[in-house]
This record gives sequence, C-alpha cells and structure tokens, in this order.
Amino acid sequence: MKTGIHGEILKIENLSFAYEKDEPVLQDINLHATDGESIGIIGANGIGKSTLMKLLVGLNTNYSGKLVVAGHEVTPKNLNHIREHVGYVFQDSDSQLFLSTVEDDIAFGPRNYGLSEEEVQKRVDDAISFLHIEHLRKKSTYKMSGGEKKLASIATILAMEPDIIIMDEPSIALDPRNRRNLINILNKIKSLKIITSHDLDFVMDTCERTILIDDGRIIADGATDVILKDEKLLTTHSLELPLSLSRM
Amino acid sequence: MNNLHPLGKLLTCVLYIFLVASIDKYDIIPLILMSVYLVFAFLIGELSLKEGLYRMRLILPLVLFVGIFNPFFDKDIVLYVGNIGISGGVMSMITLFIKGLYSVLSAYILIATTSIDDICYALRVVKVPKIIVIVIMLIYRYFDVMALEAHRIMTAYSLRAPSQKGIHYKAWGALVGQWLLRSMDRAEMVYESMLLRGFNGEFSFKKKALKLQDFIYPIAWACIFVIIKLRIIM
Repeated sequence: MKTGIHGEILKIENLSFAYEKDEPVLQDINLHATDGESIGIIGANGIGKSTLMKLLVGLNTNYSGKLVVAGHEVTPKNLNHIREHVGYVFQDSDSQLFLSTVEDDIAFGPRNYGLSEEEVQKRVDDAISFLHIEHLRKKSTYKMSGGEKKLASIATILAMEPDIIIMDEPSIALDPRNRRNLINILNKIKSLKIITSHDLDFVMDTCERTILIDDGRIIADGATDVILKDEKLLTTHSLELPLSLSRM
Repeated sequence: MNNLHPLGKLLTCVLYIFLVASIDKYDIIPLILMSVYLVFAFLIGELSLKEGLYRMRLILPLVLFVGIFNPFFDKDIVLYVGNIGISGGVMSMITLFIKGLYSVLSAYILIATTSIDDICYALRVVKVPKIIVIVIMLIYRYFDVMALEAHRIMTAYSLRAPSQKGIHYKAWGALVGQWLLRSMDRAEMVYESMLLRGFNGEFSFKKKALKLQDFIYPIAWACIFVIIKLRIIM
C-alpha cells in the first residue's frame, strides 16, 4: 500500500547486526533512499546483502542503530505497517508462491490487508495486466517455468502497491529473453527498488545507483556507471567488471 | 461441477461417506445403488476413474485389507448365489471393501473438483475451528515443500548412484536428516513469504455467493441417498 510519502522513504543510520555475538554480519551501515530511486546492492557471496534486505522487512529486528522504513522504525510493534509498504521478491520463486493458482497467490496480500473483494480483484487485474501474464492467471503455481514463476512472484508484490520493492537476485536462472523482459518491467516500476545481484550487467540495466558491500560494510555508494566501471574497486572486493564493459 | 459452491460439495461428500459407512454389513443392494453418485460425479466432473484410482494408490491397499480376516471369524451362510453359500464374513469383507472404495473415491471427487482453499473456506463456513482449518492448509502447503525436497534429494542421489536400485540403507539416515533440514528451511521461507504479505494467523478467503444450483445440488443428493439407504422404493 502506498504511504504517500515523497522524498526520503528509507533511512539507515549506524546499522549493525550479528547472528551470533562477536561475529558481525553488518557493521555501521548508513544509507538514505528516496521515493522512485533504483538501487543495486552488489558484493561477493556471504557479505550480508540478503541479511540487510531481511532487516528492512523486519525478518530480524535485533539490530543496533536506526532503521526507518516508510516512515516507521523497524521494531516488532511496527512490522504490520512496514510490511504493508514493502514488497519482498524472494530469490527462490518456489518459496514465494504457495497458493493453488497464480490469481489466488496475487490476491493473498491485498486480501490479508482487508481490502474489499472489488479492490482485491482490481489489484489482481492491474498486476496481471502490467506484467502481461493474463495466460498465467488460472495456472497452477507448480506448473510454470522459472521465468513465469518470477513474473508471478513480482505480480504478488505489485498487487500490494508497495512504496519499496526489494528483490533478491531477480535475474538468477532466467534465460536471456526472460531476463530482458524482467529488465523492461523493472524499469517501468516507479516505486523505490532495491535489487541485490551478482549479475552486474543486470544492475547496470536497472539501477541508477549502486552500493558495494564487503565484509559487512558499505565500501562505495554512487552512480552505477561510475562504480561498475571502476575495475580496481570491483576486483579488490572479489567482483569483476560487467561483461558488457569488459568486452570493450 | 467445478463451479458449484464448495459448501454444497463438501456437505454432499460428508453425508455420502456417513451414509455409505452406516449401511448394514450384509446389505449389499443399497451399497451398489450408492454408486450412482460416483458415476454421476465422474461423468459430470469429467474425471478419469483410472487417474482417481492411481492417485489413491497408497490408500487403496489399506481399504482392500481392512476386512480380509472377516471370512475366518464369521462363517455363517447369509446368502446363496445359485447353490453357492456366501458366509457373513465374505459378505462383510466385500461390503467393507466397497464402503472404503466409495469413501476414498468420493473424497477424490471433492478434491479433484474443489481447490484446497475452497474446501477450507467451506469448513470455515460450517464453523470448523480456525486453528483446525489453518493446520489443514499449512499441512497441504508444507506437504508439497517436503515432497519437492524429497524428489530433489532422490534425483541427486540416483544421478550419482546410477547402478543402484533405490537408496542404500546406509545412506538413509543422512538423506532423511538432509531432507528434514532442507524442508524446514524451505518451510520457513514459505512462512516468511506469507508473513511479508500480511498473514496474521488467519487465511482470508474469497467469499462466494450461493446460487440456486448450489442449494439444489446437495439437497437433491441428500434425498437420493436417504431413499437408497432407507430402501424407500425397494
């Protein structure tokens, strides 16, 4: 659901988090994001990207520092409000889709937030039409290809009309055509998008701002075309230039 | 049949199973007549009997064996077919088998023509406690998760042990452990996905309006079942 907030919609200050004491996963993270931005979070495996995303939706709340999402601090008390405004697209679509048909799955969120059946139906229709997946409406969620599942997963989030959309490795296991389709769709979405990915070409095509994380800390935060062209920076932190740039 | 209100289908199925189970153990005629519901539903619902029996293959052996010892305990002749006497034990074994088969097939008809969400919605309409309905839905969800994980593990095993038939008993412990751990991880992610979309302990079902045929369907079947059960026209 839209809060109507314009301007700063995500504020992270001095955020630190550890699953186990003395083994910090995230340290002193500072990040501000505004409505409509598109941010890529990049970094090697196991450096805390997914953990950071999970903190944003309150799947872990025992962090230190300040974390304000859609105008509310992420605390156990505020989780309902925060989750109303943040959509999370899982890396594994099989975990995202759990109802019998795509249509039912898309309606799950709006229905849980107590919208009228007419409004729920409108949200479902809008999400389906935005993604051009009319043919999947009645399809069983277990009988779809990887690309179809990814689009259906995004539809379940779009139907909630969130202010912030978080996507964990969205391009993984997609063929080139589905990947291109997903890029076009993401570029049409107006909400704040936060995308974690190892696919730097995908980040290049979808995000105007990129944040590089390593060892639980923000190493660089700036324009995508500056950060992703900095070969020294990328290689120092276990990444490589995007394929599209390395060929040049 | 798929478009009928789930409540009517659920009540018809429950009533059918109850009345079939309550037919006398030596009374085979009404039991045979009760098959009219199954024949009708399989035809109208465009269901395949072969598919139905295949899907119920794990339960059917239990149904088959449930009365297998009856002929040894009840040897009194209760019926003659020509010159051949049929004992009470054989009769009750046959009727038990038919009752079990009918019950399983009627449940199959319900689940083949009604989604789990609709069945649970109907259960809530008849005031089945919320906690029971949620448990049914979650078992259904997590059963799929567990089945998928089991399939992945078995595929990975068989690809690296192509000459083996099945899984070697020495690997069972490790594989079952892996299966449970992976299933728990997956189940947790499914649950997180539900939480992130506003799940607060109760499924919100789409309300369905009742039409005239939704009343006629269960009432007509209830009348037919009672007529057969009470042998009103026989």
